[in-house]
Amino acid sequence: MKILIIEDEIRIAKRVERMTKEFFLNTLQKITSVQSLDEGLEHIKNNQLDLVLLDLNLNGEDGFDVLKETATGSFHTIIISANKEEALKAFEFGVLDFVPKPFNKERIELAFNRIVKKEEVGTENLQFLAVKKRGGIHLVNIDQVNYIKGAGVYTEIFLTNGEKELHDKSLEKLSQLLPKSFERIHKSYLVKTTEIKEIIVKTGSQYAVELQNGEILPVGRTKYKALKEKLFK
Amino acid sequence: MKIATTRILIVFLISILCVSCSERNYFDNGETAESFTRGKTVYRLGDDISWKNTSVNDSLWAEDITIKEDQIFWSRTDVEIIKAPDKLKQYGIILNQFGEFEVFWDGVLICKSGDPNNSLNSDRKGKMISKFIIPKELSTKGKHKLAIRKSIHFHLDYNQFFYFYIANYDQILRGDLKSMVFIHIFAGAFLMAALYFLFLFLSDRKSFTTLVFSVNCFLFFLLILFEYVRSYIDIHYSNHHTRLEIIGIITFLISVLTPLYFSLQFKFPKRTKILVVYTAILVYIFFREHENHDSSAYNMVVFMWYVSLAIVVFGVIKKMNGAKIVLISLLASIYFNQVINYDISIHIGFSVILLGMFYILSLRTKEQRLAYENSLVQSTRLKLELLKKSIQPHFLMNTLTSLIDWVEEAPDKGVLFIEALAEEFDVLNQVENETLIPIAQEIKLCKSHISIMRFRKEIDYIWEDEGINENIEQLIPPAVIHTLLENSITHCLPSDENSMRFKLIAFTTKNTQEYTFLTFGNIRNQQKKTSDGTGFKYIKARLTESYGDDWTFTSEPTNEGWKNTITIQK
Repeated sequence: MKILIIEDEIRIAKRVERMTKEFFLNTLQKITSVQSLDEGLEHIKNNQLDLVLLDLNLNGEDGFDVLKETATGSFHTIIISANKEEALKAFEFGVLDFVPKPFNKERIELAFNRIVKKEEVGTENLQFLAVKKRGGIHLVNIDQVNYIKGAGVYTEIFLTNGEKELHDKSLEKLSQLLPKSFERIHKSYLVKTTEIKEIIVKTGSQYAVELQNGEILPVGRTKYKALKEKLFK
Repeated sequence: MKIATTRILIVFLISILCVSCSERNYFDNGETAESFTRGKTVYRLGDDISWKNTSVNDSLWAEDITIKEDQIFWSRTDVEIIKAPDKLKQYGIILNQFGEFEVFWDGVLICKSGDPNNSLNSDRKGKMISKFIIPKELSTKGKHKLAIRKSIHFHLDYNQFFYFYIANYDQILRGDLKSMVFIHIFAGAFLMAALYFLFLFLSDRKSFTTLVFSVNCFLFFLLILFEYVRSYIDIHYSNHHTRLEIIGIITFLISVLTPLYFSLQFKFPKRTKILVVYTAILVYIFFREHENHDSSAYNMVVFMWYVSLAIVVFGVIKKMNGAKIVLISLLASIYFNQVINYDISIHIGFSVILLGMFYILSLRTKEQRLAYENSLVQSTRLKLELLKKSIQPHFLMNTLTSLIDWVEEAPDKGVLFIEALAEEFDVLNQVENETLIPIAQEIKLCKSHISIMRFRKEIDYIWEDEGINENIEQLIPPAVIHTLLENSITHCLPSDENSMRFKLIAFTTKNTQEYTFLTFGNIRNQQKKTSDGTGFKYIKARLTESYGDDWTFTSEPTNEGWKNTITIQK
């Protein structure tokens, strides 16, 4: 685990660091703490990370600019903030959890467990997938997403308009963030269930789905049952 | 609202019109009377009591003679009564002339004013304007003779000024009374306005406009009094010029003040220069034909009117509030000038213009009231802003999180932290309702904030101050320095020794109070502008609340960190 803490309150940063160390123990490879957004962004650019712990209100600067940046990254982001009313907006951008201040050990460990146990975030709030595009950050509304295909450490996002975007997060991480309307039908595919036209059963226990736009995607043998249940319930 | 005031103005204008129309038969030289026609007037020097008789042959008398001081002379005037008075009615005569005189109507002495034999040592009982009854039996239809025996001591050049008018006696008396009543209602209104606006000015000494308006109303009141005083106070003819002189001066002053007032309401460029030139020209007009009082007064008023019109037109072009209504009132005043004879139109015209001035003053009062209400709302907002400082989540939640950590990790330090927090809340509670607090209290607030931030940021914050004197009044709006301190903590990085130093310098002189707040540290983000932030808005709004425009606030980076300066004019 490589973790970055962006927090301008030294005492709180120390507290987060201490609790993180206590939780991850020897799985923690590296933990860095910075006090400003600029330093944070610099660190993100130059280092491979697994998790960023971000305070949204730093030195009077708006942390959402960083959030957009971190949301495109391959790592998960957990917000630790005093402004609870920002939580909804944060979830829209795709954060794994929002820990309101003041927090205790239990609350922060709950957030960490989501990473370790690969729990899904029980929320329907994700609105955008932030993708890097032509040097800038582009927000893709998830209403426009048909399905997502895993491609190694990256993912490919297929949109209703036929276009395709690349995302740095793995299929695993995205499946944790995406709302329940997305179903993992295959080890490499996440599909929005409302886009499924029909399930095709082939010979030799091979399954597939046909989407509204005519595309056909494979369904994993182990995933078939759950998919069927979800669709016909 | 606007429509309603316009209507009221129209009603006013119409009522003034009615007033002015109803009094047209009085002192109007151009009037053709129904009851009589005036014939030739002839004069003769000397004194012979038989000259009073109708039968005297005056065909050789002169129409123009040179009068000598105090010497008695006679005048004889042909009068034809066109229509005899109605049954039970009696004719009266109103006379307006200089000198001490006796009046004979068809040889009968009908009135006496002063003593023609003693014009030099006169007890000055004679009146310039006199009203008398013509005996009923002598006012038959036909020709009559009006003979006057008189002598003059003062203003000899006015000896041949002689005006009279014959009408029903009760009409003569009432006509006078009528015009008195109407014009004095005006006078009363303007006196009240003058007093009211004077009191307004006394309660707010800065409102120069109100004073100008008050003085103008008062001058107008005086003008009416002096103009009409002759109708109810017997004025000896020797005082007539004094009265005209006073009227002239009042008119001059009004002519100066009215455009001055408009220039204060509708501010135009190069005001002072233009007004100085205007006043100079006015002085010239005032003295050019000084003896011709009516004409110079008229010229001054006309000139004033044009200049006022120009100012108001400027206001209309610039779309200033109320300028249109005032323009209408100015234009309406021409109408009165055209329709009504000079003596009265000048007053009516003034009244209309004053009404226009009244109207804009009421608009300004409304604007001031709105501004005041806004300031109340603003004050409440600032109070809330101050309270919010201590409970806004960023401050409170970060503080509590740090506090939990201290309590968990080092409980004895945690207690100190809680005490510091309690101290800040305590000071904030003390100052929350104040708009100005002693600087010592503000410093207490800052120090308690620093104690809290020391626990949160684990930076060694150092506070210094200089020039604080408990014995003199050094005031500041609450949480102003506190806000600067918060900004510094947020936007500056500590020095290499992990410390940050703040210094407050108070500099007090008789007229100014200056506070300089210095931060010694590295600025976090040089390019970032903080001047539009909510903190600076709070500071500026607080300073405006207590000091109006009499303050300056600068904020700039220095080599060592940051420098804020607040200067207040006391």
